[in-house]
Amino acid sequence: MLTKSAAKAFFLGGTALCSIAFVLLSMDTLAQFPERSNQDEMTESVVRGHMIWNKNNCMGCHTLLGEGAYYAPELTQVVKRRSDVWLTEFLKDPERMFPGRRKMVKYDFYDADEVGAEEAKKNIDDTLAFFHWVARIDTNGFPAEPDMAPANALATAPIAANSILNAAPEYVKSVCIGCHSIEGQGGTVGPALDGVADRFDAEYLRKWVADPLSVKPDTTMPNLGLKGEQLDDILNFLGTLKEN
Amino acid sequence: MRFQSQKIAWYFFAACMGLFVLQLIYGFILGFDRMGWEGLHEIIPFNVARATHTNLLVVWLLAGFMGAAYYIIPEEADREIWSPKLAWIQYFSLLAVGVVAIIGYHFNIWEGRKFLEIPRPLDYLVVVNVLAFLFNILMTIWKGKRMTTTAMVLFFGLLTAALLYLPGMWTFDNLVHDSYFRWWVVHLWVEGVWELIMGAILSFLLIKLTGVDREVIEKWLYIIVGFTFLSGILGTGHHYYFTGGPSYWLMIGGVFSALEPLAFLGMALYAIAMARRGGRKHPNRIALSWTIGCAVMSFVGAGALGFAHTLPQVNLWTHGTLVTAMHGHMAFWGAYCMLILALISYALPEMTGRKNYKGWMPEWAFWCSNIGMICMTGAFAVMGVAQVYLERKAGMDFLDVQEGLEVHAFALILAGALFTFGIVLFVKNFISYGLPSDEAMIANASEADATASDSGSTDAIDGAAAPQA
Ligand code: HEC
Ligand code: HEC
Ligand code: HEM
Ligand code: HEM
Ligand SMILES: [Fe+2]
Repeated sequence: MLTKSAAKAFFLGGTALCSIAFVLLSMDTLAQFPERSNQDEMTESVVRGHMIWNKNNCMGCHTLLGEGAYYAPELTQVVKRRSDVWLTEFLKDPERMFPGRRKMVKYDFYDADEVGAEEAKKNIDDTLAFFHWVARIDTNGFPAEPDMAPANALATAPIAANSILNAAPEYVKSVCIGCHSIEGQGGTVGPALDGVADRFDAEYLRKWVADPLSVKPDTTMPNLGLKGEQLDDILNFLGTLKEN
Repeated sequence: MRFQSQKIAWYFFAACMGLFVLQLIYGFILGFDRMGWEGLHEIIPFNVARATHTNLLVVWLLAGFMGAAYYIIPEEADREIWSPKLAWIQYFSLLAVGVVAIIGYHFNIWEGRKFLEIPRPLDYLVVVNVLAFLFNILMTIWKGKRMTTTAMVLFFGLLTAALLYLPGMWTFDNLVHDSYFRWWVVHLWVEGVWELIMGAILSFLLIKLTGVDREVIEKWLYIIVGFTFLSGILGTGHHYYFTGGPSYWLMIGGVFSALEPLAFLGMALYAIAMARRGGRKHPNRIALSWTIGCAVMSFVGAGALGFAHTLPQVNLWTHGTLVTAMHGHMAFWGAYCMLILALISYALPEMTGRKNYKGWMPEWAFWCSNIGMICMTGAFAVMGVAQVYLERKAGMDFLDVQEGLEVHAFALILAGALFTFGIVLFVKNFISYGLPSDEAMIANASEADATASDSGSTDAIDGAAAPQA
């Protein structure tokens, strides 16, 4: 039968061997990290975004690279799902985009009223720069594309070929659609925009989209700060949304 | 209890009880949030409740390990604790650091890496505290009359746990580095060095409760902790699949972590075999139930449920879902919570001289908490598997899926209530024992104990090296 000193030798020997192997592999991994994580693209802004992420324990609700908590969406690829404009509006006041649903903290440092427009914009830009950098880390295929989904059941379904949305400006497709639906596609936070040009005249629509709060002070549609050519394009498109 | 200074352990155990109950209160806040009842969101958002819940767990387990060391080491070394005064200082400072950290979380003061949320200045205090603790234990062993394998494994486990705390204090600009070294703490603790502590405490309990010869028990202790490190060190790779590491971790992490359950299986078989083999019936049956329960539940929670999501083909889909929470709960409960509760169950009658292990209350505490935990694990499992299929595999929206699972969060709360009922009974039983007393020490000395025949280690190396006080 095995003696106690043989058992002890097994413990010490096995531990020593595995520890050495682990240290060697770790050295190799650390050497590969800069390339696999595009460390050269890690700008100051990215690093500040990372600090915002750590300092506020966003990981206490979200996962990033699949690590963290399971209470809020996985964010590794969030910039593929959501446009920068959408994310900017979201971070300013998360509740607005998902009224009455599971809550995210409304952070002062993203809010122009609290810290000033410049500071808030910088914090949002840093956070987004961080997310853009994270999305390009080589994660060996995580998160995987859903493999049991019929294409049209995907949360980010492509726009149907004959949809009027194909003619819409990018901004409408990435931001307005987050809250409004057009031809059945999009969010349900605000009313569907089909036939909106029948319901309102161009004058009113311009005022509304440019500054909803000036039209209706208690509205939950955010003031998106649109102006100039971008606003014109959006309004031109809204003008085509007629049902009769 | 054979030495007066062992009494200090009681105060550590009492702190465990208080912090554990507080942990459960925060568990309920998390559960209600998940049900959609976010009434406390403005004051205690989910991330605050979660960090508090998990940190209280870690703090009370550490307090439990320290109490265990202060109880076990004098008995193994056959002398009083080297400096009871240092132990007291260390006790109060540990609690102070824990409480300050947790209050800080409520004001958004933390480091925001899961399980390592404690802010930097407090990290240093933890290090000083643990150094004081280790020094005290080391001096007790060093000056003791004998140096047993159980004591050495326990000390080695505590020492390496302290060393592995250090990589967690290293922060980086690069997220991928942050994550890499976070696992040196989290994984190498629970699937490495904490298992040494677990093995040593189980050995101590089995020696005391079954009367099986120390030589036999300690030989198997080496084999089991040998398996732990053989699989667990390279098994760290199961956290490096998708967090920026090279793809060889899929292979290495997969193979080695798949072997990790063997150590837990070993632990379970060993406890059951020793209990069968022991000729002697120790009157404290409930302590034996907790001891064997610990070995068995850790195999289920860590071994079986860990294996369930450790292969890279599976983990690709389950990584960072409620499947992980399912495994985390039962693994921590089985391996470490039950371990501390087992030692407390054994030590209380020894320290107080009362025999309150008889009757319905300790029995019900055992069964309600364990059945409650099995049901909680079931609720997490349903939520986890549904999340994996609906969100990860079928591509449904995250929030839509989560809202569909709110009813299961209600089931989680019901199961948690049963669990909490068991724990409340355990705490009531703890209180009924009263304070430790010196009379108990004298009474115990005359009572026949399984240790009567325990002459200590005759291991050539350990024995020969033992210096005399
Ligand atoms: C209290 C929990 C909580 C905390 C803390 C939290 N979030 Fe969120 N977050 C959520 C929830 C829940 C959602 C889902 C949408 C909603 O209801 O707002 C979300 C959504 C998001 C989204 C949009 C994801 C998507 O796919 O639509 C981003 C981006 C985001 N959070 C970033 C952050 C950042 C950055 C931080 C830290 C500064 C943070 N979150 C902290 C709970 C949280
Ligand atoms: C955060 C969500 C959100 C976003 C983003 C958003 N809206 Fe709205 N919108 C609303 C809500 C909510 C209402 C209903 C407001 C009310 O009645 O108070 C609304 C109302 C409207 C209306 C009036 C519709 C009616 O039938 O009453 C128009 C037109 C409109 N939005 C256009 C837009 C356009 C164009 C964009 C993109 C530039 C946009 N919205 C972006 C939430 C949003
Ligand atoms: C007592 C021992 C154990 C405890 C207390 C424990 C606890 C935990 C916890 C808390 C997590 C989440 C960690 C985080 O995300 O920060 C986790 C993750 C994990 N555990 Fe364990 N565990 C134990 C043993 C095991 C074993 C033996 C295995 C494998 C056989 C295993 C496999 C895993 C895997 C694969 C993950 C990652 C899950 C993911 O990708 O999200 N665990 N464990
Ligand atoms: C009243 C009973 C309890 C309830 C309702 C509860 C609930 C929860 C919830 C909802 C989470 C967060 C999961 C998420 O991120 O969404 C969590 C995390 C956690 N809880 Fe509990 N809990 C309870 C008791 C316990 C006990 C007794 C333990 C120790 C064994 C424990 C250990 C943990 C751990 C380790 C985590 C982190 C898990 C991970 O990150 O994977 N909890 N708990
Ligand atoms: Fe692990």
